[in-house]
Amino acid sequence: MAIKTVFSVESTAEGVVADLAAHLAGFSVKFMVFFTSSKFDPQTLASIMNQRFAGAEVIGCTTAGEIISGKMLKNSLVAMAFDAEAMADVCVGVVKNLADQDQVSEVFAGFERHTAQGMLQLNPAKYVGIVLIDGLSLAEEKLMERIGDLTNVTFIGGSAGDDLKFKKTYVFAGGKAYTDAAVLALLKPQIGFDLVKTESFSARKEVLKATRVNEAKRIVYEFNGEPAIEAYAKALGVSKKDASNKFMSNPLGLLAGDEPYVRSPQKVQGDAMVFYCNVKEGMELRLLESTDIVQDTRDAVEARRKALGGISGLINFHCILRTLELEQEGRMGEYGEIFNEIPTIGFSTYGEEYLGHINQTSTILIFNEPQRA
Amino acid sequence: MAGQIKRILDRIIQDRSQGNETIAMTTKIKLVLKGVDPDKYSVLSEDDSATLLKVKEIARELGVAL
Repeated sequence: MAIKTVFSVESTAEGVVADLAAHLAGFSVKFMVFFTSSKFDPQTLASIMNQRFAGAEVIGCTTAGEIISGKMLKNSLVAMAFDAEAMADVCVGVVKNLADQDQVSEVFAGFERHTAQGMLQLNPAKYVGIVLIDGLSLAEEKLMERIGDLTNVTFIGGSAGDDLKFKKTYVFAGGKAYTDAAVLALLKPQIGFDLVKTESFSARKEVLKATRVNEAKRIVYEFNGEPAIEAYAKALGVSKKDASNKFMSNPLGLLAGDEPYVRSPQKVQGDAMVFYCNVKEGMELRLLESTDIVQDTRDAVEARRKALGGISGLINFHCILRTLELEQEGRMGEYGEIFNEIPTIGFSTYGEEYLGHINQTSTILIFNEPQRA
Repeated sequence: MAGQIKRILDRIIQDRSQGNETIAMTTKIKLVLKGVDPDKYSVLSEDDSATLLKVKEIARELGVAL
């Protein structure tokens, strides 16, 4: 087997790593990605993972809930391990102090030395990147923009969580835990891969143009020259008082063609709206209307499975807002079952990354069946 | 003047993609996320000076020499 998924619900860092190692006995791990509850001491966990899986490249992050084939979990650790049959090459770098954007160039310089190719020359059909970033850094947009400037390889991933405590999130690489940091992994799979971005919204006709913003703080003061919350309420046809109750079901979307890149409102601040990702001044956003998460995800995954003839591994970066909606609707089990027959790991994120930083979305990395490489 | 914004956006997409359709598509999305939608500009579009400056800066960020 080239790709293996494992999980553990042991209560200690030592126990959870021992459990993983037992499940992976006899499997030669070249690369592993893991997603963990924030309940473990991060430095201890990082150190033990490094000792147990010495010789493998291991990356990971803390979460707001974990996903394994067929189940959505809490207080667990899930992992996907690749052997050399599945992963031809991997190179990992850490962007520390996220305010310093030049560090992406430094990490990419390391990737270029490793591959002996320029990042712009790498074939995006052969290489793919994973990005795991501190989910409380407010730095995802700048990081993703810089990555996109410097390479045509697509980096997909998510913002780390901390089980909804909103105190501190961690990313892991090379036996260390980092906060205010992002882990970048450049992968060259032996088998083919595919990327899916799925969100459950349709675009309505109403347009809100951001006319006054604080981009860095993700605040929109005005849409269409009016106080933001008033313009949003007017577009929806609800009172200003009721508008925030619509944030989950009616976020805003930046359309690229017909595809929405979701901008989710977080809260009202005076007459301004604070978002979970930035909105640039002049951006024209469409009001979105929610559709069925389970059905839309099932359709997206099934379409890929049919097209590819099978899936040997799937990593799901799944927005915490989607998880909360599924929880409210009592549909967590139904959602988990979509991935019953697919070797899957994932986590509930504080934001999703695919070409940029987005919200209320699942960004999914799929590995094909080996014969379809 | 008209059409310069469209020409710069086309140049960025062409330069980055070198004819690769997938890269052309992802480059278009990157432009939208940077705040400029290439589909909204044609050779007849007026060259608003603020947008012109913006697309020149985006070209610089993406390493495209104009």
